[in-house]
Amino acid sequence: MWWRDVGTLRIVAQVVAVAAAFAFLGYLYRNLVTNLRAQGIGTGFEFLARPAGVNVAGSGFEASQPVRSVILLGVKNTLALVIVGVPVLTVVGVVVGIARLSSNWLVRKAASVYVETLRNIPPLLVILIAFNAVLLPLPTIDNALHPLGVLVVSNRELGVPWLVPREGSGLYLLVLTVALVLAAGIWVWRTRRFDSTGAPHHRVLWSSAFLVGVGIGAYFLIGTPFQVSLPEVRDRIVVGGMAARASYVAVLVALAMYTASHVAEITRGSILAVPKGQTEAANALALTRFQRLRFVVLPQAFRIAIPPMINQFLNFTKNTSLGIAVGYAEVTLVTFQAIGNGYPAPQMILILMGVYLVFSLTISALVNILNRRLQFVTR
Amino acid sequence: MAKKIILLVVVLAMVAAACSSTDSGATAQKSLLDDIVARGKLLCGVNNAVPGFGFVDSAGEFSGFDIDFCRAVAAGVLGDPNAVEFKPLTAQQRFTALQSGEIDVLIRNTTWTASRDGSEGATFLTTTFYDGQGMMVRDDSSYQTLEDMANTSICVLSGTTTELNLAARFNSIPYTPLTFDDNDQLRNAFVAGQCDGWTSDKSQLAGVRSNWPDGEGGPAALRILDETFSKEPLGPVVRDGDSKWADAVNWIVIATIQGEEFGLTQGNVASYSGDNVEIKRFLGQPTPSSDGGTTVFDPGLGLPADYAVKVIGAVGNYGEIFDRNVGPDTALGISRGLNDLWTHGGLMYPPPYR
Repeated sequence: MWWRDVGTLRIVAQVVAVAAAFAFLGYLYRNLVTNLRAQGIGTGFEFLARPAGVNVAGSGFEASQPVRSVILLGVKNTLALVIVGVPVLTVVGVVVGIARLSSNWLVRKAASVYVETLRNIPPLLVILIAFNAVLLPLPTIDNALHPLGVLVVSNRELGVPWLVPREGSGLYLLVLTVALVLAAGIWVWRTRRFDSTGAPHHRVLWSSAFLVGVGIGAYFLIGTPFQVSLPEVRDRIVVGGMAARASYVAVLVALAMYTASHVAEITRGSILAVPKGQTEAANALALTRFQRLRFVVLPQAFRIAIPPMINQFLNFTKNTSLGIAVGYAEVTLVTFQAIGNGYPAPQMILILMGVYLVFSLTISALVNILNRRLQFVTR
Repeated sequence: MAKKIILLVVVLAMVAAACSSTDSGATAQKSLLDDIVARGKLLCGVNNAVPGFGFVDSAGEFSGFDIDFCRAVAAGVLGDPNAVEFKPLTAQQRFTALQSGEIDVLIRNTTWTASRDGSEGATFLTTTFYDGQGMMVRDDSSYQTLEDMANTSICVLSGTTTELNLAARFNSIPYTPLTFDDNDQLRNAFVAGQCDGWTSDKSQLAGVRSNWPDGEGGPAALRILDETFSKEPLGPVVRDGDSKWADAVNWIVIATIQGEEFGLTQGNVASYSGDNVEIKRFLGQPTPSSDGGTTVFDPGLGLPADYAVKVIGAVGNYGEIFDRNVGPDTALGISRGLNDLWTHGGLMYPPPYR
């Protein structure tokens, strides 16, 4: 009897379960649509083409541009936090994590205080402190400070010197890219030579000397393709250099510091998780302290650290939504702003969820690829 | 094992059947009015950061013009001005809170606009306050008109009509909007000089100005520019599709205006013993009927016959509410202007009560 066959029944059960799940989702969806219609709220996405009606700080955004452009602008602003924040928090976190294991009492304790303070404060509070207690008390734009003559410090915008491209900058970048590839080739060549003959490789010296040489040579041959531009305040706006809004700086610094405290703990834990025998074996081989860390302990600790590290990157990305508290126009703020201005909440929230989902899945995919490549190959 | 699986299949099938057969379509709905009477409490969505309109004072009590209208609705529907739970909302949360049924009525200086009426599932009722948008700057700044404010940063609350009006008015004037979703954070930014101007409804600006701490120069440190660049009719809002509840709230608001027109005040409304038939009808007192007896007028709003007595007895008439919270003798010092009775050249015009 086929209907008494366990194999068949299992398949049937799966099919029914999937059908039930879809039926449930369909029910929720229909419920939503029916209720929205009953209240006279639209259910489509046509509104994305209507004008946003608001301007956004720190951009050339015009009120007449459509809602979807303002969402894209929010995505761009969120990305600006992620792209700068993730490398910063990784470096700070790893350094602090290693410092917690230092044999120097002061370094160790200072790192502990950093971690234990920041890790135990809600990120929103860290952002509010950074904004209200650190950035707002800075001088106003009319009395902006110019420390060292190259920075602009005010509570509206902060400016740093930046390189502006001139004629020939594209060519220069192309030359640099080619030089980078060649430098990598030199690295491989020196390594191979070392492997076959045992002569010192000096690969760092060789490739960096080549890169710097080409860089300097091309710079003068092409004729100053980049120029340093210094920020200055003109008519209450920072022109030249690279300017960042106070809210951006507050969110970036606060969240990077906060997340770094978690990364520090991951780093410390991962180093401690490398079996003690490995260190002892390295000592038995008479490796120096640096060699021991560089070739034995850290590569293994790194492998352990990557999966929990992904989590911190994701947390950072999701926490950028707290920028709404200090008026940084990231994607959550612009979405809520649009909702407040009469665009339908269910659709907007759906889009917002989709945006964060894409962010998170992309980051985990990237780090997972890295993770797979770094794991031990076992046969 | 097989038994378990069969059981699972049956259960899932039942769930699926239940889901697909459930009809979520709109059935005949009970009015919110009945629910509120049964619940014995009104849920009112308010502001908590605008002095004079909706504000939490140092004792933790809500007070203000909008708050008084919440109390008026509670008094009219439930007979008790204190049977109200205030739900502080941000500008962005308010319509979602209304749509989702988290609140019964929204009285949170909300501007009546066509698109809000049309696509937010909201029904706007009688305007309680005719307002307009203005710009507040520090008194020591050089700005006299909006045209002077090129390249300035302007603080604005996010998700408000104010924000839209600002973008429209500054169409050809370059500016940077600093949008906050919370009045307190916006205030911090303004105090620190992060923005040069603060734009909002003029009444709100007056409220903020009146409450400006002496440590920061007191009200004299701030100046509101003359130009008014928008129309902002503010009033209570209810959900679409419940006309009975909408009517009830509407007529409670109208009752306060009607009360002022009749000269009824918080002090004398309960003890009215005159023989003006219109007033007696309004107060639910017996009036002579055509058959020689007496009758109590019931307009069929689903409210108690004496709701006007309860409302005015609780919060006073419109003029009293205005004077107590925002009038010339308060820190806000707003004159009646458009908000005066029609008989005094204002826009407050109650429809006939008959």
